[in-house]
Amino acid sequence: MIRLYHIDKHYGDHQALKDVTLHVAKGEFAYVTGPSGAGKSTLLRLLYGAEKPSSGKLLVGGVDASKLPDRRLPFLRRNIGVVFQDFKLIPNRSVLDNVGLALEVLGTPREQIDRKAKAVLNVVGLAGKEARFPSDLSGGEQQRVAVARAILNDPAVLLADEPTGNLDGAMAIEVMEILLSINLRGTTVLVATHDVGLMERFPQRRLRFEAGRLVAGQ
Amino acid sequence: MIPHILRRTLRSLRENLSLNIIAAGVIAATVLLAGVYLTALQTLDRVVSSWDRDAHVSAYFAPDIAVELRFSTKDQLAARPEVASVQYVSEEDAAAYLAEAVEEAGPILDELGPEVLPASLEITLSQGQASPDAIEAFVASIDGPPFEVIDYGRQWVQRFHTFLSLLRGLGLVLGLLISLAAVFLVGNTMHLVAYARKDELETMKLVGATWGFTALPFALEGLVQGLLGGGLGLAGVYGLHRLLVVRLEDALSLALAGAQLSFLSVGWCLLLIGASVLLGVVGCLWSVTRFWKAAP
Repeated sequence: MIRLYHIDKHYGDHQALKDVTLHVAKGEFAYVTGPSGAGKSTLLRLLYGAEKPSSGKLLVGGVDASKLPDRRLPFLRRNIGVVFQDFKLIPNRSVLDNVGLALEVLGTPREQIDRKAKAVLNVVGLAGKEARFPSDLSGGEQQRVAVARAILNDPAVLLADEPTGNLDGAMAIEVMEILLSINLRGTTVLVATHDVGLMERFPQRRLRFEAGRLVAGQ
Repeated sequence: MIPHILRRTLRSLRENLSLNIIAAGVIAATVLLAGVYLTALQTLDRVVSSWDRDAHVSAYFAPDIAVELRFSTKDQLAARPEVASVQYVSEEDAAAYLAEAVEEAGPILDELGPEVLPASLEITLSQGQASPDAIEAFVASIDGPPFEVIDYGRQWVQRFHTFLSLLRGLGLVLGLLISLAAVFLVGNTMHLVAYARKDELETMKLVGATWGFTALPFALEGLVQGLLGGGLGLAGVYGLHRLLVVRLEDALSLALAGAQLSFLSVGWCLLLIGASVLLGVVGCLWSVTRFWKAAP
């Protein structure tokens, strides 16, 4: 599902990723881990097309993301769900509208969006909170809204960049359980985190990065 | 897709009402400025046309020119295509005009006799013959006997045309400055509108929205702002026209020489509305595109 071949990423003189080659199979769950500045977020940014690698080849779901023209980027992203540490919810939209955004951009009819968004909110344990606004919710609930939005479109790949970074222990565990349940439905999940406790509680493959190099889990 | 775009446009108009009103207000102020400028220019053009229409040449006969020759010359000139009308002014008529215009001249004229002033032909040139070149060509064609002096206020005509060219040039510069200021002001206001929704733009891009899907509601918002701003601006110009210009018409009647201070033509109104819409749409698209490119 995800294949990287000799990926390098430079920011001026700074090399964020160095000769990274890895393969994540379809339906696999993997952590991307390592200290701050190791290249975890850079890897995820390359995967969802926010940036292009300086060199190497990068395939996501068979699409060569390293050569993708900007106008094709939206079509790649429709197959990738992304969850961020800061949730990236639209404050003046209801929970239902925030979740429904992923289908709205496809031009799906409103009734269908609402029906599917309610079903997904049920999966993440937020049934009955459709009309609330993000500011009415706790951090854990906001992150679950973000997860619901990310999986609404049944993406082949789910990327989560420090999804529990802003959450306390119990809420972090709730979010991780949801991500694992999504993985059980066949979605490839990649979670960038440096929370060792969480990785020990939910053991999965670990892709460990140090100073831009993949040093373990290859 | 279209229902989503319309829904988002309406919601955005409602949710960002104050910013939209500000943007429409800036466009309205711009149209007001441009409208006042265009009204002034249009009026000036009409005044110029009316003055041009009435270009005069005074041709004074040499002494001892027989009356028959004077009238035959008058007829010859009246037959020329560049001449609109010719009026014969005898020595007596000239003295009478002077005495009437300058009261103190009466006793002096009585002493000198009625034939102290020369007879003349007052020639009014046709429309389109008022340029300095055309007047000079006409004067050159009649210069010489039976006329002794030909007066057409050459310097005045030249200065007047130079002044008008300068005025038009200044108007163009002013118009250009107004346009640049408008683009700058509207562009910055739109930038604020887009900035207020920067996070929404970023999120939409991340979930796979295309540029068109994201930008179209903004373009429609710009269209509404442009229509509203353009309409308000034109209403303002019309209000000013009714309040001020119509009242000035009497006071300026001499300078206007019969020209009317009318409101902007339909063509100009449509052009201003079109420019407002263009300003709104392009301003919005420009701002959205900047944030869109910056988003991950």
